[in-house]
Amino acid sequence: MFGIIKQKLPGPKRFTLPFSLSLKTREVIAAYIFLAPFLIFFSIFFVRATISSVNISFYDWRLLRPTRPYVGLDNYVDLFEDEIWWASVGHTVYFTAITVVGTTLVGLAAAVAVTRPVRGQGFFRVLLYIPQLMSVGAIGLIWNWLLSGQFGVINYILSFVGVRPINWLGEPDLVLPALSLATIWWTFGFPMLIFIAGLQGIPEQLYEAAKIDGASGWQSFVYITLPLLRPTILFVTVTGVIGHFQVFGQPYIISGGGGPGRASWTVIIYLYQQAWVAFRMGYGAAVAVAIAIIMAVITAVQFVTISRRVEY
Amino acid sequence: MNLRNSSLFRYAGAYIFLIALSAFVLFPLVITVSQSFMTNQEVNRWPPKIIPTEPTLEGYHAVLTQQDVRLDMWLRNSLFAAAGYTAAVLVICAPAAYAFARLRFPGNKVLFAFLLVTIMIPGQVTLIPNYLLMRDLSWIDTFNALIFPGAANVFGVFLLRQFFMQVPQELEEAAILDGAGYFGRFWHVILPLSTNALTALGIFVFLGHYNDLFWPIIVTSSLETRTLPVGLSIIQSSYAGQYRPMILAGAVLSTVPILIVYVIFQRRIIQGVTLTGMGGR
Repeated sequence: MFGIIKQKLPGPKRFTLPFSLSLKTREVIAAYIFLAPFLIFFSIFFVRATISSVNISFYDWRLLRPTRPYVGLDNYVDLFEDEIWWASVGHTVYFTAITVVGTTLVGLAAAVAVTRPVRGQGFFRVLLYIPQLMSVGAIGLIWNWLLSGQFGVINYILSFVGVRPINWLGEPDLVLPALSLATIWWTFGFPMLIFIAGLQGIPEQLYEAAKIDGASGWQSFVYITLPLLRPTILFVTVTGVIGHFQVFGQPYIISGGGGPGRASWTVIIYLYQQAWVAFRMGYGAAVAVAIAIIMAVITAVQFVTISRRVEY
Repeated sequence: MNLRNSSLFRYAGAYIFLIALSAFVLFPLVITVSQSFMTNQEVNRWPPKIIPTEPTLEGYHAVLTQQDVRLDMWLRNSLFAAAGYTAAVLVICAPAAYAFARLRFPGNKVLFAFLLVTIMIPGQVTLIPNYLLMRDLSWIDTFNALIFPGAANVFGVFLLRQFFMQVPQELEEAAILDGAGYFGRFWHVILPLSTNALTALGIFVFLGHYNDLFWPIIVTSSLETRTLPVGLSIIQSSYAGQYRPMILAGAVLSTVPILIVYVIFQRRIIQGVTLTGMGGR
């Protein structure tokens, strides 16, 4: 055994080069070799694309037309004056708000229940996360049928409490809550798992101390659990807002491309319609930039609120 | 037995809630599976039937043989593209994460801060220029379009960098004494000690791609090159009014592969969500 080590000791001969590089230089070269594939792909598909998107948005660029006149800010002016755009923004904000509140509440309640010392904890956790794994394609087909006004099972269940059949996907006022219900069903599993991890990080002694002081279960939830979960709640709502604001598949599949009429057009449906149905690339690029700005503002506002609140 | 102390009694509220929530989760799935075995007449009935009187495979037969429905092909495309994408992400992001975590080079901090800022910019801005690039490269309707544009996954770099930094420095120093170069240290020390992070990232990147809808809609156009979610949306729009059991059968068949993955990697997926913060929408 010692013999083997002795044999290895003479050191790495294979690095002998005709000229010598300092260790520092070698590390720099190695670093850039390691980074190269990432930087190449990132530059082409992200940096170039982002800059190009802003550039395209200044042109009246239509896919099927040979000329692309420069129009300055016209696309943005048109966008600003388009009622359909603002309606889509409104739908998206409404959908995002109820979906994020819904998934957060259901996820939190499920996490609290599942972290009680109940039997079958692991089983419930695995079961309740199933929908989150499904594709929007599959959940789209399922919920389009469940919500059907004619033969839908949701209406069947409601009929037992005396509710007359409702045309969920045909009523402009009901389609967004209906899509939101489907989305809450689909996506509460992620907040649930994040909340479970958050709850497990709260020291058990705090609850014991509260109990000795005579606190009820609800009181310890409000005065111990919720304040200590604040960072988790903020993570869940921030990721939820970013994710759900980009909703596309649910209106595309469940309510037939954003129907009835344009009642469930979201900003991404609007982008899709402009760029890939009307083939208006320049206008579409302006839409994409606008969406990016809105989302950056929302995220920034959330981060500011977070940092303020955490300071106490 | 003392009823007051048994957990069943003390946590009755939690049990009732969990059972109700499980019912809410399972109900749509059970209805879908059950009605996928019905005939078209039986599905289109009020009040709806929950259990098929005479289970039939008509819907499944139709979804696999219909001229304009190529479920087998879509499934193959989805699996192949998702696997290729996952491999590309790992191959591209892991070395970059290693450089950021362990190597000293000019621009390390600046570059990393720049990547942090870009995470604030939503991917939608890149859609139109990347789509135009795919057209120029004639990559529309090819796997290249589904695999490469998203392969430089910034989040993957962050995540792996975080884990690589936790690998004890001494282990790498030991490898240096054994004569390992940068690649040797990366390959023989860092990667084997980060398998948890690598699998978690791999699983979520795979699932995310398998379930993606928007990008495949715009970069595929022929029936043979569609992916599963796009294919399902096509069945929905062309057959919703005509043949519901077939649509439900499509939903069931497209979900089975995911459930198989879930059963196998169940623990890793559940742990992976909290490990990585991935796995949401």
